[in-house]
Amino acid sequence: MEPIIHLKDVSMVYGCNGTRTTALGGISFDVLPGEFVVITGESGSGKSTLLTILGGLQVPTGGAVRIGVADLSALPADGLADFRRETIGFVFQAYHLLPYLTARENVMVPMSLERVSPREKVERADALLASVGLAGKEDRLPSQLSGGESQRVAIARALVHDPPVLMADEPTGNLDSATGEQILDLFSEWNGRGKTVLMVTHNKANLSRATRFIRLRDGQVEEDRMLQSPPAEPVAV
Amino acid sequence: MNIRKLAWKNLLRRKSRAVFTGLGIFLGIATFVAISSITSQMEGAVQDQLDRFGANIVVSPRAEQVSLGFGNIALGGTEVAHSRLTMEDKDRIRSVVPFLMTAVDVSGKNLVWMGLPGTDVAGARPWWKIQGRAELQPGEVLLGAEAAALLGKGPGRTVTVGSRSYRVAGVLQPTGEKEDGMVVADIADVQALAKKPGAVTYFEVAALCKDCPVEDIVAQIGQALPGARVSAIRQVVESRKAAVDQLRRLGLGVSAIVLLIGGLMVLVTVMGGVQERTREIGVLRAVGFRKRSIFSLLFWETGWVSLFSSLLGAGTGIAVAYLASPVFGIEHPSVVFSPAIFGAVAGLSLGLIGAIPPARRAASLSPTEAIRTL
Repeated sequence: MEPIIHLKDVSMVYGCNGTRTTALGGISFDVLPGEFVVITGESGSGKSTLLTILGGLQVPTGGAVRIGVADLSALPADGLADFRRETIGFVFQAYHLLPYLTARENVMVPMSLERVSPREKVERADALLASVGLAGKEDRLPSQLSGGESQRVAIARALVHDPPVLMADEPTGNLDSATGEQILDLFSEWNGRGKTVLMVTHNKANLSRATRFIRLRDGQVEEDRMLQSPPAEPVAV
Repeated sequence: MNIRKLAWKNLLRRKSRAVFTGLGIFLGIATFVAISSITSQMEGAVQDQLDRFGANIVVSPRAEQVSLGFGNIALGGTEVAHSRLTMEDKDRIRSVVPFLMTAVDVSGKNLVWMGLPGTDVAGARPWWKIQGRAELQPGEVLLGAEAAALLGKGPGRTVTVGSRSYRVAGVLQPTGEKEDGMVVADIADVQALAKKPGAVTYFEVAALCKDCPVEDIVAQIGQALPGARVSAIRQVVESRKAAVDQLRRLGLGVSAIVLLIGGLMVLVTVMGGVQERTREIGVLRAVGFRKRSIFSLLFWETGWVSLFSSLLGAGTGIAVAYLASPVFGIEHPSVVFSPAIFGAVAGLSLGLIGAIPPARRAASLSPTEAIRTL
C-alpha cells in the first residue's frame, strides 16, 4: 500500500542572531492510510514542529515531505494554503475559535472561500456540529461553550472539507479526563471511517486509541512501534 | 459565511476601534465637502453679483493719450489722437446702453449731466435706489443725492437750464460714487443741451452672464469698432473671485492635511489591529486562507469603515455648508453634490490606500509565526 505520508531526512533548524537550534535532525518515516499515529516526546523533542511541517504550516529546512501526491517542500505559499484547506484538518490544544463568531459560523470559516450557497454552508456546518454532539448549540458563541464543547466545534471545523488526514496538537490538553475521552472517541470514530489521524500528545492514556506509536527525543525518532492494525478500508488522499 | 461577512463581524466586535479608524476620514471628508461647497456657492454668488452689475464692457472713443505722472502725482496727459462715437455705432453691437456726459449750468450750479435712454435706467444701474420713478420721460431728470441737496430740489419739482425746465422724477439715494453729484436725463435731452445731436461718450455693453467669454466679446467689439477703446470692467469682481480662490485654496490645503492625518490614523489603527490579531490571522491561514484572502479580509474591513465614514462625512459637510452659508454672505444656500461625490470617493480611496501596508503585513504573516503564539 502506498504511504499517505512520506518523510525523508526531514530536518528543521531555527536560527536567530547566529544561534542555531535543531528541532528536527533528519527524520524519516512513512504513514499508511488509515493509521492512527500518536506522537509523543518530552518538551522540546520536536513533536509540535513535526506536526506543523506535516500540516503544511511551515516548510522544513531540509529533506522531503510528501502527503498523498503533494510534495510540501516544493509547494508555493498559496499551494500550501490550498493543501491545508483541502487535505488537512488541524485541531489545536486551545481550540482557537474566533470569539466573535457562533459555533456554526466558526465551522463555516474554512468555507468562506468557497462558491457555495449560504444555505448549503449552513446545512454542512449544522450536520458536522450534530455529528460531534452539538446539535442545538449552533448559535452559541465560544464564550457560552464549555472547553469540551469548544474543542468539538474545533474538530467540526477541521472536518469541514472531509480531509483524509486529521492532525491534532494536544487536543485533550486543556480538558478533564472524561471530556478528553469523548474527544478521543470522535478521533477514533473518524479513524474508523478509514481516515488517517496524527496526534501529538503527552498523555499516554491516549495510546489506547492509536494503531501506531512514535516517540521523539532531541529531534530524532527514538521509538516507532505498531500497536494494532489500522481499519480495513483506509482512505487515501 | 464569506470574507465580507467575516470582515463585518469583526468590525462589529471592535466598534470603538472601527469608530476611531473612521474618525479621521470622517473629519477630512466633512471639512473638504463643507469648504468646497461653500466656496463653490460663493463663486456662484460672485457670478450673480457680476450679472447684477448690468454692464461689464465699456466702449469709448479711442484716445491715444500718454499719461504723465510721477508716483501718485498726476501731471496731466498729452492727447495724441481722438476718435468719436455716434449713435450709429450702437447698431453695430447688441445689448448696449449709450451714455453722453456733459457739463451744464443748472440754476447757477455747474453740474455733470449723464444722458442715457430714459427707459434703460433701471437696467443699466440696477443697484441705484431711487426715491421716485426710475423710468425717465423726455423732459424729466433724476438728481444725485448731492446734486439734489445742492439745488434744494426733490421729486416733483423742476430744474431750469436756460429757457427749458425739467421735472425731477426722482432722487438717487447716496451711492458714494460720482453719480451723487450728477443730473441724469434722457440722452436726447442731454444731446440737445450739449448741442451734440447723436453724440455718445461711451457705450456700456451688458454682455454679462455666467462663464461668458467677456474677453472674446471685447476683442470682437474692438474689431467691429476700430475707432473705439473697448475694455472689460470686472476688476472689482475679479478681486472678489481672487479672494474666493484664495479661500478655496486654503480650504483645500486644510482638507488635504486633515485627510492625510485621517489616512495615517487608518494606517496606525489597522496596523495595530493586525498586531492584536496575529493569532486569529494564524488560525485563518492554518485553515487554508491564502495571503490574498487575508489581504482581502483586511481590505473589506477598512472598506466598510471608509465607506460609512466617507458617506457620513460627505453628508455632514453638505449640512454644515448649508447651515453656514449665511455666515459667508450666501443669500440663497443650495446643496452642491459634486464635492460630496468626490469627497466620498476620495475618502473610500484614502481608507483603502491607508490599509494597504497593514494588509500586506497581515498577508505576509507566516502561519508558523502566528501559530507560535498559539
